[in-house]
Amino acid sequence: MKQLNDTIKQVAAQSLSRGDVDLVIGWQKGDLWWQSYPAFVENEQDTASLTWDPFCVANLSRYLLEEQEGKNKVAIFVKGCDALGLNQLLQDKRVDREKVYLYGIPCDGLVDHRKLEAEGFKWLSEVRKEGKELVLVGRNGEQKVNARDYMYDKCLTCRYPNPVAYDQMLGEAVEAQPEERFASVKELEEMSADERFTYWANQFSRCIRCFACRNVCPACSCRECIFDIPEPRWLGKAKELSEDQFYHIIRAYHVAGRCVDCGECTRVCPVDLPLQELNRKFIKDINELYGEYDAGVDPETEAPLVTYNTNDPAAFPES
Amino acid sequence: MKKISKDKLPQLWDRLAQQATLYLPVEEDGVVNFAPWKEGAAVNLDVINTVVPPKQMVLPQSENYLHFRVDGGKLDLEPVDVDGPYVIFGARPCDVAAIAIIDKLFLDEPCDTLYKERREKGTIISLGCNEPEETCFCTAFELEPAFSPDADVSAWDMGEYLLWKAQGEKGEALTKKMEDLLEDAGADAEKAVESLRNNVASKEAAATKEYGWNAQGVKDALEDKFDSEIWDKLYRRCLGCGVCTYICPTCHCFDVQDFSRGQEGLRFRCWDSCMFGDFTLMAHGENPRPTQKERVRQRFMHKLLYYPSNFDVYACVGCGRCVRKCPVSIDITQVIKEVGGVK
Amino acid sequence: MAVINPLLPQVAKIVDIKQETPNIKTYRVVSPDGGKPFEHIPGQCAMISVPPVGEALFSITSSPTQQEYMEFSIVKTGSVTDFLHEIEPEFEIGIRGPYGNGFPIDMFKGKDILFIGGGIGLAPLRSLINYCLDTRDDFGKIDIVYGARTPDDMIQKEEIFKVWPKAPNTEVHLTVDNEWEGWEGRVGFVPQCVEEICFAPDNRIAVTCGPPIMIKFVLQGLEKLGFTPEQIITTLELRMKCGVGKCGRCNIGDKYVCKDGPVFTYAELLNLPPEY
Repeated sequence: MKQLNDTIKQVAAQSLSRGDVDLVIGWQKGDLWWQSYPAFVENEQDTASLTWDPFCVANLSRYLLEEQEGKNKVAIFVKGCDALGLNQLLQDKRVDREKVYLYGIPCDGLVDHRKLEAEGFKWLSEVRKEGKELVLVGRNGEQKVNARDYMYDKCLTCRYPNPVAYDQMLGEAVEAQPEERFASVKELEEMSADERFTYWANQFSRCIRCFACRNVCPACSCRECIFDIPEPRWLGKAKELSEDQFYHIIRAYHVAGRCVDCGECTRVCPVDLPLQELNRKFIKDINELYGEYDAGVDPETEAPLVTYNTNDPAAFPES
Repeated sequence: MKKISKDKLPQLWDRLAQQATLYLPVEEDGVVNFAPWKEGAAVNLDVINTVVPPKQMVLPQSENYLHFRVDGGKLDLEPVDVDGPYVIFGARPCDVAAIAIIDKLFLDEPCDTLYKERREKGTIISLGCNEPEETCFCTAFELEPAFSPDADVSAWDMGEYLLWKAQGEKGEALTKKMEDLLEDAGADAEKAVESLRNNVASKEAAATKEYGWNAQGVKDALEDKFDSEIWDKLYRRCLGCGVCTYICPTCHCFDVQDFSRGQEGLRFRCWDSCMFGDFTLMAHGENPRPTQKERVRQRFMHKLLYYPSNFDVYACVGCGRCVRKCPVSIDITQVIKEVGGVK
Repeated sequence: MAVINPLLPQVAKIVDIKQETPNIKTYRVVSPDGGKPFEHIPGQCAMISVPPVGEALFSITSSPTQQEYMEFSIVKTGSVTDFLHEIEPEFEIGIRGPYGNGFPIDMFKGKDILFIGGGIGLAPLRSLINYCLDTRDDFGKIDIVYGARTPDDMIQKEEIFKVWPKAPNTEVHLTVDNEWEGWEGRVGFVPQCVEEICFAPDNRIAVTCGPPIMIKFVLQGLEKLGFTPEQIITTLELRMKCGVGKCGRCNIGDKYVCKDGPVFTYAELLNLPPEY
């Protein structure tokens, strides 16, 4: 991982100094050991601040919506999940491929700092990945743990760890080792309708309507979101279960068929709503109804919900 | 000073709940938030901060205040009664300080009587922190992690039991009602509390110092920073969501909306966020804060310059929720670090 | 009805609606028992409610010397105003106020006053104009410069064409942005008009309200004529919800426009962040 850390600084510096790109979007460190956040670098000398470490989880592709304006070319680092998001933005015609240079980073999973904290790993100064292990550097010296035990749940089910879209691949390809991603969806499907309603009502009642899930989602790129339109006001502002449900269910429908399963929605939610579970139910249903489809793998494929096929299952009886 | 052993707490809570709605930190699906007490609730007094601060009890996320009825051209208006008394148990000193901070705005002329009534119906029992989180920096704002001067009752977790000290009239009145459940704490209690207070405060202050999160002189430093590059650096990664504003214990901006079914309806106020694009959007389409840069600048200037200009107190208590929860790690420590400290 | 909570409206009735221009109407509002819902000073505003559509803040365009009713001139531009433009007289609305600081009338006493308005911007100025005309001896010469895109877009046509020009020691200078058939008066933008007439700043206060672009050039023009920032007064407009400086929406720096404003001197504005 250290090697990649150096490589990204180098390639960023080169592309800026050669004038190939006007802007590099990557990650940089904050004060705390787990803070690796999106960075926007326009000068060669600032590329030294870029980082690649086990906490670079933020999906950068969505920033292209704003940043491609008025620029010739923007370079962006994409992990597997980020590349899927980028492809979806391309498929939705929201990003101009000509204006983007993709540095692909194969990624076999990033670390959820909250999982480390839950086990008492706090006040660290550094966390490095070495092979399949994490080296935790703290006040009392170093400690090694199994990396996979502390990864984001979304990383454990990742099926596209190597970016499917890239102009230049940095680092060695990694092997996907996904766990079953529909496991919790299947559990929900076993519940009765009432049980399922109660489950989701309990979840949604925690929602504070911050819209972080929508704002981080690569499939949510509408210029004016339906929930922002003042008249008619589709989504009321009252903290009512009916409004909470309305928001989440409608959003899930709007991204259905375009959700790339990147899991950012679940990561950013401040109250831990299991949003990926909701979106995965839609993915599972779409797979069953229209055939296996992974959004974001190829921007040229015809997405099932925007393509009519005479073989599409008909909900109404034949007669 | 009184004390109560932890195994007697459910009895205390039952008693408190008989005369008021009792809110305490309850864990559900791994998330700890203030919720009404019911028997068997998974109370969690160990987590330092709930996700949503107890400001939601004095300024609810949505609050109905007017009932209206429209019939032809006739209008009937009727105020909605404010809910009954409540007790907040286990509020951390930072969160209590935050309520005292927003009191200054809402109780200022003209007094927001809706807020005042709801505020006065509440009794706050604070629980001092035994450990700072990595993200805590209340000492940067001259607050103490283990002491809340504004609470009605201060409590401390000493392991097997809690210490309990009434502060002010409300606190005394409540303590009297719980008399039979509380024992005298004994001569060493005050010393133990003092020791705890010092330990936690110095531990936090040391960590805060190490990170360089120094709020000294921030207000003055920001006077000429309206056009500073800080905002250019910070805003770019901002998603424009409302996480920071909604989980912040001092954020208090609200919207006023109507809700109706047929001819009757309710007017309510609800949380709103200056980070949202339409916060300052005018009906004819103009917006004095058209991009995220102006909005990010507004948030931090409001907390660290404008609010202190009006009320002599920073609108930040160093609870660290924004540090933990911002999806892209934009938080107030970055502004403080950049402009704060005696240079 | 005694209003305790500043957010609670009282019921009022619209008794007259006048179509001023294709998209502006003036509403006359009274208390259900007759008379005004409450007292105010020129420059203050009120929140008008039309549940369940919502509430919005409007400047009170009638003078406080008018005892029978309160008037508002409202542009059709959003959900609340769209609804208001559909209703008929005798319709009941909610109202609360007065909000804002109003014009600093003492500052005007004994001075000449130059009113500069554009389009709907005349509405807040009118409350002060009529107040001055009703207490005429307290003030010096009154000049009213008023312009709109076209003659049809001018509001308070009765007053600007007939009543005010006849008032003692009062002059009205009207202008339209471009040539217009049937219009024989001045042609040109309001700031141009101000510069051409070349008002002297001595013992004079300028009060202006209109579209932001007009205000910008008027301020420049007045400075060129020698007006100091303390002699220029304007009234601002922002999105507002509570009207009492609590909801946090209408601040410019540490001032809330609904409470510390909407009237500001140019000198005060120069001390605030350029965010309006």
